[in-house]
Amino acid sequence: MLDVKDLHAYYGASHVVQGISFNIDQGEAVALVGRNGVGKTSTLKSLIGLETRVQGSIALQGTTLVGKPAHVRANRGLGYVPEERAVFPQMSVEENIRIGALLHPGKNQHGVLDRAYELFPILKERRLQLAGTLSGGQQKMLALARGIALQPKLLMVDEPTEGLMPANVELIANALLSAAQGGLTVLVVDSSFDLLRVLCSRMYAMDRGVLIGTYRPSDFSSPDELAATLLGEGRH
Amino acid sequence: MADQLLIQILNGLFVGASLALVAAGLALLFGVLHIVNFAQGDFYMLGGYAVWFLLNATHNYVVSVIVGTIIVAVLGGLLLAAIIWPLLAKSQVLILLATLGLGLIMEQLATNFLGGDTKIIQPPLALSIPLGTVRYPVYNLIILGVGIGILVLGYFALQYTRYGIWLRAVAQNRPMAAALGVPVPRVYILALVVSSGLSALAGGLLLPLTSVYPLVGADVILNAFIVVVAGGLGNFRGAAIISILVGEVQSVGALFVSPAWLRVVLFGLVILLLMVRSRRQHLLVRL
Repeated sequence: MLDVKDLHAYYGASHVVQGISFNIDQGEAVALVGRNGVGKTSTLKSLIGLETRVQGSIALQGTTLVGKPAHVRANRGLGYVPEERAVFPQMSVEENIRIGALLHPGKNQHGVLDRAYELFPILKERRLQLAGTLSGGQQKMLALARGIALQPKLLMVDEPTEGLMPANVELIANALLSAAQGGLTVLVVDSSFDLLRVLCSRMYAMDRGVLIGTYRPSDFSSPDELAATLLGEGRH
Repeated sequence: MADQLLIQILNGLFVGASLALVAAGLALLFGVLHIVNFAQGDFYMLGGYAVWFLLNATHNYVVSVIVGTIIVAVLGGLLLAAIIWPLLAKSQVLILLATLGLGLIMEQLATNFLGGDTKIIQPPLALSIPLGTVRYPVYNLIILGVGIGILVLGYFALQYTRYGIWLRAVAQNRPMAAALGVPVPRVYILALVVSSGLSALAGGLLLPLTSVYPLVGADVILNAFIVVVAGGLGNFRGAAIISILVGEVQSVGALFVSPAWLRVVLFGLVILLLMVRSRRQHLLVRL
């Protein structure tokens, strides 16, 4: 489904992604894990086309994406849910969901809305509310619901559970899990053991801009073990 | 006095409505592209000239205004795009200077090729309606109606059409809009074309009343900037509402104070408004 070869990304003078290669199969849910600042978000931004200086090869179902602007990549089937600034604050919840669906005026707009509301019924209750007035957790739900409801070929989700209450983490994890079980291919950046354990078949570990290994969630018996091995926590 | 006041209120409304067309274009462009277009007044000038030429050729005012607006909108939008595009990723100051330069070039070309004289036409409608003891020109009311109609249409287009929703989306969060597949370059071009067109339409509509000359845009743009700054940069609705207020202050105020003092009062009100707004930043609305 997705083949990434020798991907490099630069942020100013920093070489933030240093030649990583990986692949994701159709219907697979894969995670990119590592400490803060090791290049995970930059990798996702490079794939969707929001990083300006990128080299390497990115192919989605055989179609090369490098050099194409973000909107073209989205139209080729790449979905992206960023960690921050994921919603349009002065637009209603419903408008936020419809923005991407409007690309295909012939398609059933209500189908997209229904799918999003089915994932998070609270969004239906608040469909006329401005997205900027939702709580942080609800904004994450909105961004994720929109990403899933648009039915991309591959959905990239950046830190969907970061900063959320445990109850919301469970809601987000369930939504992602049900989408993945429905056949959606997912690339997620997150450090929640509970999410990774139920969702992912593989995890690519990243450190200082390079991939340092591939793991399975079953390789770890506890959140602490995962954190110590992949996130560098507890090491002195 | 009551009749005079009524006339000045109506004058304020039609001046405000036409000013709102220019200012709404500026606000739209700032909202979507985050640029200040100093050439906006010169598209007003081009709109006036386009209607003047087309009227001489067709002798049909309505056709001249429609065709003139479309020509200036498309050519102006594309010209702006050609100048702004290479500078989008660079400093805002470069874009500001580029549009200022474009405006100066257009003014100089207009002077060289069309002469510095004033070109005016008779109002297409000589009718007037009685208001108390005086009569008021119907054409002024038509300008008011068309201006308000276009702005209301623009507002609903922004709210409910596909491209309207995309324009707002790009204004609020361009990277996210692009990541959702919104064709950002097309949205930019649309904003440039609509912005030029709104200005040209105002120039064409006001041609019978204020005439056209190479520097007419410079006179218009100052008020438009006051409106856009006071209404909130990038705020289409705010620009429209403040335009009407500016029109009213200028027209009704002229009954009581001299034009020079009126300008002082106007700037004073704008400063006051900015002070209030700066304390209520959360109320700023984009597009």
